[in-house]
Amino acid sequence: MLEIIILIPFLLGSITFFLPPGSGRILLVGAGLAHMVACLFAFMGYLSALLPDYFILTPLGEIVLGLTSLLFLLVAIYTVSYMTEVRMEAEAAFNGFMLLFLAAMSMATLADHIIVLWIAIEATTLTSAPLILLHQSKDALEATWKYVLICSVGIALALLSGFFLAFAMERGGVQVPLNYTSLNNVAASLDPLGLEAAFIFALVGYGTKMGLAPMHTWLPDAHSEAVSPASALLSGALLNCAFLGVYKTHMVLISAGLGHFSNQILIFFGLASILVAGVFILHQTDYKRMLAYSSIENMGIIAFGCGVGGLGALGAVLHMIHHALLKSSLFLAAGNIFLGYGTKKIARTGGMIRLLPRTAIVFFGGFIGISGLPPFGLVISEVLIVLGGLRSHHPVAVTLFLSGLLLVFSGACRHVMGMTFGRNPVGVDALPVKEKLSRLLPIYILLAFSFGLTFWMPKGVVDMVYQAAALIGGGQHG
Amino acid sequence: MISFAACTDLLMTFVFLSVLLCLASNRLVILIKIMAFQGVVVSIIPLVLEHGQTMETVDLFLLIIMVLVKGVLIPLALYIAVKKVATLREVVPYIGYEASIFSGLVLIMAASFASSRLTPYLPPIDILLLPAGLTTIGGGFFLMMARHKAITQVIGYLMLENGIYLVGTALASQTHSHYMLEFGVLLDLLVGVMIMGIILYRVSSTFDDIDTGLLESLKD
Repeated sequence: MLEIIILIPFLLGSITFFLPPGSGRILLVGAGLAHMVACLFAFMGYLSALLPDYFILTPLGEIVLGLTSLLFLLVAIYTVSYMTEVRMEAEAAFNGFMLLFLAAMSMATLADHIIVLWIAIEATTLTSAPLILLHQSKDALEATWKYVLICSVGIALALLSGFFLAFAMERGGVQVPLNYTSLNNVAASLDPLGLEAAFIFALVGYGTKMGLAPMHTWLPDAHSEAVSPASALLSGALLNCAFLGVYKTHMVLISAGLGHFSNQILIFFGLASILVAGVFILHQTDYKRMLAYSSIENMGIIAFGCGVGGLGALGAVLHMIHHALLKSSLFLAAGNIFLGYGTKKIARTGGMIRLLPRTAIVFFGGFIGISGLPPFGLVISEVLIVLGGLRSHHPVAVTLFLSGLLLVFSGACRHVMGMTFGRNPVGVDALPVKEKLSRLLPIYILLAFSFGLTFWMPKGVVDMVYQAAALIGGGQHG
Repeated sequence: MISFAACTDLLMTFVFLSVLLCLASNRLVILIKIMAFQGVVVSIIPLVLEHGQTMETVDLFLLIIMVLVKGVLIPLALYIAVKKVATLREVVPYIGYEASIFSGLVLIMAASFASSRLTPYLPPIDILLLPAGLTTIGGGFFLMMARHKAITQVIGYLMLENGIYLVGTALASQTHSHYMLEFGVLLDLLVGVMIMGIILYRVSSTFDDIDTGLLESLKD
């Protein structure tokens, strides 16, 4: 029963609303553990779907689900410690919505039916909006409003993509269940016009949720205003789920022989996202917004990688894995910084290496990783994407890609160096909130995962990565 | 007895008119009433299109729920929201009413043009269905962008959903799983508006009035 992966967090989350915050926190970690165990059972093939037309384990779905489960467990441990330092009125609701959010994301990773995926993505918006709103400030309210409205419009357009897929099926005279796996098998006989329209709407719709420019405007607000553990999940897990929507439609187009069409669009939106992020990062004054723009950049890199295909698609899948690990570790570190300095302004932080030494190490380490420098995995994925781009004869696009990366790196580097090694803020010799092991361990584990996966991947994971890339025309020889 | 074709044309005309009326109206309550009307019309269009013959019991049941949700439940929720929070019951436009109506007419023309290009590829359907759907989508976007208040943005979003539903009906009129799609729209509408309503309430209690023009402190 594959659906149990969705049911566990859903049921436990519903209970959590009625529990006192203390036991809710324990349940948060417990549910994370149970979810992970269920996922492991599913990966080993012990669970099969009760409704095979609607739910299925696909290679990329498996990767995203595994990442989501791991991130959630670590974030849950972090949250328990974080919540003891901040006072939150509606903590029971926060814990409950965290679990419902996990259920919605799990549903998105397992969904095969077009409408089920669509409902799941909408559910992720609705369950994560309260996580931003619960901050109770004027800015949080503004961020939530933009998040819900812009993403709902995006999702509404994504529904049109589903309609166009059904239309392509009807015009092609095919009768199969309306799910991506079946459509992929009969892709050649689907109507090309319907497929192309479906891809455009899927990219605009799910791309809004994924944070691709120019539909990204909600993302920096939402990711910076959410409580840090929630930001880590939004950036590390949710963006991947939205990417699944784009990926699956792209997969059908590739199988139908329309890859050249979707590739061009992906390359364009990917480059736009990277360049927009680069421009806005330069003069950023808020370190959480800086991280959010970096997420936009990385989603752009993934879209670009998918667009160039071949080695690039392989790189895109790897990039997604390492970005999820590194970005969530950075957001959790940002939570520690916020607890310590009590501000999100870059100008009022500084001298972290003296004031928050152990957070400074992970923050700087995470920054090294996210910038695509060794010893973390993004260096491999970015080199693969560049090689893929050159092999598929996109020299101009690759040049723009590299200059975009350089722009982001130079912009962020200035800020991060100042925060880590710069002077202490005036008159601050010690910070009120001390670092705690329970708030550091999850971050170190995330970094260790990214570091470890760079040098060695279990064979099962390697196979999944190759299969996921192969479905969108990726591979060593592509 | 009126023929089905005449009946469909009448309903389509109602859709066009409701879009134009929405763009022209200056009172929130009237806007909500028009949306209720549009919701009912949009929900019963599939019934008329199928000529009442192929309707299964499940579909009929869903249709009744849809009429209730789009025609009663959501307008009621919006009405309560207006009564509760809006101190000024007027629509505050960025773009004036005359210009809005003119834009609406341009929208209809653009939608008809786009539809005429698409029609050869579509299954044989009512000739006005696709233009009506596209116009409604456009009108929804217009309301969301051209009006100040948060609540008008929600109404614009509703109109957008209605339009998408119409386009969906035009594209996939024969697909077996179409009640599944209706279910999706319903679910989304209900929950979406509920959440938006709650937020609206919070927006008003924090800002005294629901003017999204005030929501612009977060930017780069």
